Amino acid sequence: MALNVAKIHVGMSGGVDSSLTAALLKEQGHEVVGVYMKNWTRDLPGMRCPWADDLADAKRVAVRLGIDFKVYDFENEYRQKVVDYMIDEYRRGRTPNPDIMCNQEVKFKLFLEAALADGAEIIATGHYARTENGRLLMAVDDKKDQTYFLYRVTSDALRQTVFPIGEFDKQTVRQMAAERGLITADKKDSQGICFVGQIGMREFLSEYVDTKPGPIIDKLTNQPIGTHDGAIFYTIGQRHGLDLGGGLPYYVVGKNMDRNEVYVTTNLNDDQLWRPLVELADVHWIKGVAPIDGTYRVRARHRGALLPARVVNSDGTVRLEFEQPERAIAAGQSVVIYDGDECLGGGIVLA
Amino acid sequence: MSQRAIDAMLPYFRDKFFNPSAPYQPAVEIRRDYQLAKSRIAQAIGARGDEIIITAGATESINLALNSFDGHIVTTAIEHHAVLSVAKARNHTLVPVDSRGRVSVEAVAAAITDETTIVSVGLANSEIGTIQPLREIAEIVGRERARRQQVSSKTPIFFHTDASQGAGQLDLSVARLGVDMMTVNASKVYGPKQVGLLWTAPPVKLRPVIVGGGQELGLRSGTENVAGVMGFEAALTEAVSHRKSTVENLTLLRNKLERLLIDAFPDAILSGHRRHRLASHLHISFAGLDAERLVFALETRGVYVATGSACAANKGTRSHVLTAIGLSDAEADGSLRLSLSGDLDEPAIDRAAEIIIDEVRREYERLETL
Repeated sequence: MALNVAKIHVGMSGGVDSSLTAALLKEQGHEVVGVYMKNWTRDLPGMRCPWADDLADAKRVAVRLGIDFKVYDFENEYRQKVVDYMIDEYRRGRTPNPDIMCNQEVKFKLFLEAALADGAEIIATGHYARTENGRLLMAVDDKKDQTYFLYRVTSDALRQTVFPIGEFDKQTVRQMAAERGLITADKKDSQGICFVGQIGMREFLSEYVDTKPGPIIDKLTNQPIGTHDGAIFYTIGQRHGLDLGGGLPYYVVGKNMDRNEVYVTTNLNDDQLWRPLVELADVHWIKGVAPIDGTYRVRARHRGALLPARVVNSDGTVRLEFEQPERAIAAGQSVVIYDGDECLGGGIVLA
Repeated sequence: MSQRAIDAMLPYFRDKFFNPSAPYQPAVEIRRDYQLAKSRIAQAIGARGDEIIITAGATESINLALNSFDGHIVTTAIEHHAVLSVAKARNHTLVPVDSRGRVSVEAVAAAITDETTIVSVGLANSEIGTIQPLREIAEIVGRERARRQQVSSKTPIFFHTDASQGAGQLDLSVARLGVDMMTVNASKVYGPKQVGLLWTAPPVKLRPVIVGGGQELGLRSGTENVAGVMGFEAALTEAVSHRKSTVENLTLLRNKLERLLIDAFPDAILSGHRRHRLASHLHISFAGLDAERLVFALETRGVYVATGSACAANKGTRSHVLTAIGLSDAEADGSLRLSLSGDLDEPAIDRAAEIIIDEVRREYERLETL
C-alpha cells in the first residue's frame, strides 16, 4: 500500500490492532500522530472503566514508535450521539447498535474533522476493513471483518481513511506486533462497545433507565405465565433469562413497551422468529446513491452469515426479501448490504 | 521488600498461623510474639507498645487520628490525599508552603483558631522530599494548649504527623519531634503493604473507626495481622539501625545524580528544599517535555520513575504539591520524581543518569523536528 500522503493521524485505542496500524504507517515513512479518543470514562457498578490504562498503553506504544501522541476529548459528544441514542432506542423497545453510531458520529466524523484541522492529510484506524477510492471493502480475514460496523461512514470520509490491518488476519497482526516489541501484542481484545462488553447491556441500562416488573405472556394462550424485570431488557429471539422453569424453551417474539408486556412462545416456527421480509429505514448508501434493485448479500449482525436477499428500493426505504427467512431480526438493528466484497451500505430495521 | 522482613513473616503463614486470641497454648505463644514485636516497633519511635495501634497502613492511621476529634483542622497544602480528604470534609485551613515546599511556623500559628482540635503536618513530603519544622510547630501547639488551660477552655488541641515518608532516614523519636500523634507505614521502610501504626500520647483519646472484637485496645478491631506486624518490626528495626549509613550513601548518590542531570540540562528545575530534604529524593522538571513519555521510555530500559503529572495513568490530574510550590503547568508536566532505594551503588547511578539524559535528549530532539 503506497500512500501519497505525509501526515496521518491514527486513532489508537490501546489495543493491538491500532498499535500495529500506527507501527506499519510509521515504517512506510509517514509522519504519524497517535490519537486517543477519550469517549467514555465512567466506572459502573462492578466494572472499573479501563480508559486510563488503555490510554497509557496507547501512549506507551506511541513512545516506543517515537511518534507524537495526543488525546482528543469527545466525551460530551459521545454521550449525546452514541449513549443517549442507544438508551432512547432501548426505551422505544428497539435494539440499537452503538458501535455503528460511534463510527458514524465520532470516529469518522469528529475525529476525522479534528485530525484534518490538526494538520493530518488522512486518518487511519485499526478496523478490519479495506478502502479503495472511497469504497468500503471487506477485510481479508472474513472472520474478523468489521464492515458491518462501518456501513454508515460516507464515501468522502473513506477517501480520507486507511485501514492497514484489513490486509491481515488476526494471528498475523498479533505476530507482527510481537516482532515489533509492541506491549499490546498479547492484549485481550475488547468486546464490542467497551462499557457494555464486560457488564452486559442489562446492567448498563439499569443505571440509566427506571424499570419495573411486568407480565410475560404466552402468545399461544394469551395468558400470563411469569414476570419479567422490565420489557426493555428483552430482545426478539432471546431464549435465556426468562426464569420460566422446566418444559420446552420459550423464546421472546414481541413486546409492548407501553404496557410493559413481553410475549413469548414455544413455537420455534413463530412468524416473528423467522421473517422473510423486513423494511429498512434510515438507509445509508456509502456512494450516496441506492444500488439498483436486485439480489445482494446481506448480513443482519456483526460476523453474521452473508445471506442472499432481494433489495427493493422504495422512496427512501428499502424492502428486503430473504431467499430463506432470517431468524430473530429486531427493530432498531442494522442490516448491511454487500455486492461481492464491497459494502454498499444498509439501513435500520423499521419494525 | 527487605529480606529480613520476608523471613520474619513466613513462619506466621505456616506453623504459627493460629489466631492470637485463641485460648490454646500455641496461640498464646503467638500472642506473646505479637506483643513483643509491637513493643519493638514502639521502641523504634521511642514509645511503649501499648501506645501504638496497628492499622492497615498510613491511610487508615490518618483517618483514625483525624476523625477522633471534631472541630477545625489546620494542615498544609502539600499533605497526602488521606489528610486532605479528611480535612476537606470538615472546617479546615490549608496553610500554604514556600517555593521549596516548607511551611512557615508563623503561618501555622496564625491558622489556629479557638475551634482548632488537630494540627497535622507531614514530616517529609513524598514528592519533593522537603522536611518540615515539626519541633517548632509542636511548640506552637503546646503554647496554644497552655493558653486554653489558662482560659479554662475544654477544647483539646493535638499535633499529628504522618512520618511515613521520613522513616528510615529521619529521627522518629516522638519525644524529640514533639508530636502528640504519629502515623508510620511499613511499606515505606521495605516492610509489607497494608500495615501501619498510629502512635498516640497518653492524653489523646481515640474514637475507633472500625469496631468489633475489641482488638488493639478496642481502638481497631479485627484479627491481628500477625505476619504483617512481624514484617513491619523486622523492616523498621533494620531501617532505624542502618539509618545513618543509609542517609550517607543516599546523599552521595542523590547529589551525584543531581549533578550529572544538571550538568547535562542546566535549565532543568530542581524542586524541594536544598538542606531540609530527604536524601532519597530528587525532583527535577524539564519544562516543555511530557514527563509521562519519559516514564514510558525509561521503563523499557529498567529505570522506574514517577511523574508529578500522570496525564494518562492518573486521570489528567496535576500534583497538588507541584501546584502549591508554584510550578507552572508546563514545568509540572515535565517533572520527574526520582526516588533512590537503599540498595543502589555508584555504577547504577551513573547508568541511570546516562539513560535519563539519553531519553530526555531524545524527547527534546523529537520536539524540535515537529
